[in-house]
Amino acid sequence: MDFFYLLIQLVSAIVVAPLFDGISRKLRAKFQSRVGPSIFQTYLDLLKLLKRGRTKSHSTSYIYQISPYLLFVSAAAMFCALPIVYGAHSAFLSQFSDILVLLYLGALFRFIFIVAGIDTANPYAGVSASREGTLGFYTEEVAVICLVVVMMGAGSTNLSFITTLIQEGHYGYAIPSFSVAATAFLWVMYVETGRKPYDLAEAEQELQEGVLGEYCGKDLAIIDVAILLKQFTMLGFFLVIFIPWRFDNPMLSLITFLAEVGFLYVMGVFIDNFGPRFTINNGIKRTMLFALSIASTSLALYIMGI
Amino acid sequence: MQIIYTLFLLASLLSIFLYKKPLLAQKVGFGLASLISLYATLFFFSNLGETMTWKLPGNFISSPLFRLDSIEMFFSFLVSLIAFAVSLFSFDYAKFYEKKANLAVFASLFNAFILSMLLVIASDNVFSFMLLWEVMTLISALLILINDGKDASKNVMIYLGIAQIGAFCLMVALLIMASFAGSFEFSKFADLNIGFGMSITLFVLLLIGLGSKAGMFPFHVWLPIAYCQCPSNASALMSGVMIKVALFAFIKFSLLLPQFAWFGYILLFMGALSCIFGIIYALASNDYKASIAYSSCENVGIIFLGLGGAFYGLGIHSPLIALMGFIAAFFHILNHAVFKSLLFMLSGNVFTATKTRDMDALGGLHKKMPITSIIFFVAAISICALPPLNGFASEWVIYKTMVMGGMDEGIASRFFFTLSIIALSITGAMAIMAFSKMYGSVFLGIARDTKCVEEAKEVSFIRLVPLALLASLCVGIGIFMKDVIGMLSKIVLTLIPQTSQSVYGLISMPLIIMIMLLCAIIPFVFLYLLKANHKAVRVTEPWACGFLYNKNMQIGSNSFTGDIKKALSFILRYEQEIKIDGYFSKAVYTQKAHDLFWDKLYAPVIHSIMVIADKIGIFQNGRTNLYAAYILIYLCLVLIFGYYYL
Repeated sequence: MDFFYLLIQLVSAIVVAPLFDGISRKLRAKFQSRVGPSIFQTYLDLLKLLKRGRTKSHSTSYIYQISPYLLFVSAAAMFCALPIVYGAHSAFLSQFSDILVLLYLGALFRFIFIVAGIDTANPYAGVSASREGTLGFYTEEVAVICLVVVMMGAGSTNLSFITTLIQEGHYGYAIPSFSVAATAFLWVMYVETGRKPYDLAEAEQELQEGVLGEYCGKDLAIIDVAILLKQFTMLGFFLVIFIPWRFDNPMLSLITFLAEVGFLYVMGVFIDNFGPRFTINNGIKRTMLFALSIASTSLALYIMGI
Repeated sequence: MQIIYTLFLLASLLSIFLYKKPLLAQKVGFGLASLISLYATLFFFSNLGETMTWKLPGNFISSPLFRLDSIEMFFSFLVSLIAFAVSLFSFDYAKFYEKKANLAVFASLFNAFILSMLLVIASDNVFSFMLLWEVMTLISALLILINDGKDASKNVMIYLGIAQIGAFCLMVALLIMASFAGSFEFSKFADLNIGFGMSITLFVLLLIGLGSKAGMFPFHVWLPIAYCQCPSNASALMSGVMIKVALFAFIKFSLLLPQFAWFGYILLFMGALSCIFGIIYALASNDYKASIAYSSCENVGIIFLGLGGAFYGLGIHSPLIALMGFIAAFFHILNHAVFKSLLFMLSGNVFTATKTRDMDALGGLHKKMPITSIIFFVAAISICALPPLNGFASEWVIYKTMVMGGMDEGIASRFFFTLSIIALSITGAMAIMAFSKMYGSVFLGIARDTKCVEEAKEVSFIRLVPLALLASLCVGIGIFMKDVIGMLSKIVLTLIPQTSQSVYGLISMPLIIMIMLLCAIIPFVFLYLLKANHKAVRVTEPWACGFLYNKNMQIGSNSFTGDIKKALSFILRYEQEIKIDGYFSKAVYTQKAHDLFWDKLYAPVIHSIMVIADKIGIFQNGRTNLYAAYILIYLCLVLIFGYYYL
């Protein structure tokens, strides 16, 4: 039964995610005084990609062919690690829902992303693969500092256990280190969704999506869904730890969760649209240092036992 | 059991007697080594957890005792397992060095090296231990010399120099411990009555003595030098198991001291530094073998983090943390032995096929060597600690130990454990960059230097068998994580006094794999339901923004890490050189990373020693009457000293 709910959790996220992407695109267009595409545009894009033929560069090897599926598998497995429809009472799935499993599945995603980019021998793909790795290096350390505070504070790495603990009020915002960590963690999760000033989805050639420069047709569609799913997981990761609204009815928790994630995803446009553009080193220096210092504050608070 | 040691000795002697027929000696020497180590693997594995002793027979000056307890048994098993794979690999690989050295000597040294490691593990006496330890160092130095080259003797001297610093500290520590125990046998060392200050001193001496051999920061400078100089099978053996022997000795000796929580903190601190510096240099290096070598420093750091947890647990009398820490350390020792020797052997395959170690010359090797490439992919995933392979399993246990250690009330413990978790995670992020760069620039894309890659072809079947074996071990240990932990916990429980703790709350690796497989079905269902276009893929040139594509447009390994190198420029020094001869000629751009600690720490010391040696040199001038004067002056000084002070 747990497996069935898990499948529903995954499939519903895949189905709903493009809608929120469409809404955020529409909203961004409004900000820029454009009419913008319909809110269902992302679905239409994906459908169109599925019908198109494919090309590949002559340099590619097996990695190019399997990487869309590997990316999807790691993103989907990350999403399954979020305890939304199942909780600590499901002893079986709790063995999977672990903070470190989630983090390292994200690392697997990044590894395959980089390797696939290098495989195409495309100059832009290589540059953005490097960028992806560098960005990962910066975000991971801030994310882990926040998670260290949570893991040690709650005394476990198990995500469903931590969620239950926070929801029942045994651990949470009354503890200063936890609430400071929440801020830094939200910041990092925003970076992970690939928006300005850390990334610019529309400028596909040089930034994050440059890795996908050679991909087309159904391969690109699968990767697009995988990236959307990963961005949802990252925001969900924040929600599951820091705003755990869960109900006894799994379907109700799922609907609330999707609405929350969608809300955060669309709200990201407000930062995205007014954020400046930086080169990567400059951008990191100007913005990530804040997140790092907030996270370090929270760590210092934890070490002092507050 | 003695028969294993005897057989290795006989194999070593037999191969040296065949020195007139090197090719035959190679087949016989390495073939015998693989057979004996297969038998040894099975023997040690089936006797895990038992105790065995034997004495050296015959009429020697002393008859030292050799003793295998449960951890000795485990490490002997590890040595023989890796030795089996490596010697099977060398059966064909060693031929590559036919012109450089006599293969009979190579095979003989190889057998002797395995034997010396097994004997070091088994020895139960200070003197036999130190003697065998030095023999092991010397044999490994000779193995480095097999690949004779421009800087070979200088590189060996660096290796031996650091090994001697280590051996000196180790000897001092063991002699002090022996004087406290009143005996030279390790089995009588238990319950030493040593105060806090002396214990810390002994601990630091042991850490320097054995950590230098294990490649711990700041003694890591010999790793890239020695491993790049060695033939790949010897570096696989050195990195895979020799540094594990050093770790074994460290665990064994430091457990004999009275335990304090500060031991744990020192280990955590040194481990965190080792991981970060090791991986930074691995990331910056453009030589794939040097990069793998530096990653040994990183992994030793990770093992020290696990051990740090264990010693902290022993220090504060918390058996559960100690148990988790030891399991984590032993688990990572096992995994590192498997994937690091695998990576070194793979680097040997790449080197024999292309004759270059420069990542910027390679590329597109997957098309020429598909099986090597796929095995390399598995090894890279495993060393980056990505699920669902073995590297992740052991790093997870280490993380778990750190979390348990950092939950205590004390500020010191929280500080050290949180910082080491952060170090571990930074290491993880950089390892992904280092190994995706290595895999990408060696095997994927288009060959940058066509000359090197053109004639490459897949290596013979017999060299792929041990690689496939180790790769499947990487997968298998990952899947059967719980069983391996169960086995390890039986071994390490003997190290923790009076406890019957057991490990709980583990993640389930089969479940992770099952969920990943389940997720793999979903895209196919969607593709089927939405009637995707399944037409054959058209092959084109890579897209270059409308320009004519050129293979030099690919990202190079320097520019791949360019941004991160800039950010880390405060600890990472590199030289850039741009040569432009004329407007139409090719510009040559080179960049070489420097080891900051070599430049700042070792080079000045070596330089000053050279200067002092030069100055002392004038005393040795070959005139007999002056030497007689030296003796006279010395005698006078001794007389004066004796008269006033004795």
